[in-house]
Amino acid sequence: MISERQDTYVVIAAYNEARVIRGVVSEVVAAGWPVVVVDDGSRDDTAAAASMPGATVLRHVINLGQGAALQTGIDYAISRGARYVVTFDADGQHSVEDIPELVAALATHDIALGSRFLGKDAVGVTRRRRALLRTATSISNRMSGMKLTDAHCGLRAFRATAAPMLEITQDRMAHASELLRKVQTSGLRVKEIPVTVKYTSHSTQKGQSGFQAIRILFDYFFRPS
Amino acid sequence: MIIRVLLLAGLAAIGYLVFLRRNRLPFHIVTVFGMLGAGGLAVIFPDATNDIAHYVGVSRGADLITYLLEVTVMLVLVHYYTKFVELQRQLTVVTRELAILKAELGRTAPRDPS
Repeated sequence: MISERQDTYVVIAAYNEARVIRGVVSEVVAAGWPVVVVDDGSRDDTAAAASMPGATVLRHVINLGQGAALQTGIDYAISRGARYVVTFDADGQHSVEDIPELVAALATHDIALGSRFLGKDAVGVTRRRRALLRTATSISNRMSGMKLTDAHCGLRAFRATAAPMLEITQDRMAHASELLRKVQTSGLRVKEIPVTVKYTSHSTQKGQSGFQAIRILFDYFFRPS
Repeated sequence: MIIRVLLLAGLAAIGYLVFLRRNRLPFHIVTVFGMLGAGGLAVIFPDATNDIAHYVGVSRGADLITYLLEVTVMLVLVHYYTKFVELQRQLTVVTRELAILKAELGRTAPRDPS
């Protein structure tokens, strides 16, 4: 298990998360996972707050978007010898306890996707956001041709060998739909794992609004990957 | 009459600016000068636009010019949007490479003995 943890890099894309990033990175590092934080051109002290032993902080000099930041972190993790890569949100929504189960699924699958709707629940989610998530999942399933219970959970794990097939070219939030389309077309073995997502006032404030969903659809269709 | 002089002066000024920046492809230069020439002819011979409009099935020359402008503006928008997306993609590559390079340099740089 120790070797598995050393070979698994947790990639965190962060933008203006100085308030919470230190706690998130501390938890992951304390659990023994090497961490790569990509500060996506934040205007606050995100990079400084995330710096600690066990975590490497990369910095985009300008803000590109979550998709680009994740791909930077993934590339760096693989260049450092990662066998498995986990993507983890910076806003404190995800639980570090879910990582081992995601990584364990990679023994038989190429990619493990976290799902808020498979038993473990989304904590503190409003009815409106739950409806928005269900709608997004339904649209995403139609676009990707997959049948998932949660299409846009940022907590995922995949083998490094699968990374070239999953390369993110959508800089902003449309990367989640792009990723699923690539999973579907590349024939990778995928498994959904129940995870807990905690909604706090901070994460809800940072989350996607209905208006942003329209922009995501625009990016997906008019910025070809 | 005054408007004709103003329009022709405007077209000539645009032609001069294009001439100063003639490091583009010959195709672009020829296209721009062709459009400026057509514009100049339309200013000098306004009735000719009516004749062409009637020939292609449009009632007035002014309408024909409006339709052509609409198509041209859309083409220019699509062209520059495509360029914008391509530039953004290049910017992404540079920014990401820079981030990784700086992290690598920070990792391999010798520690300050003090």
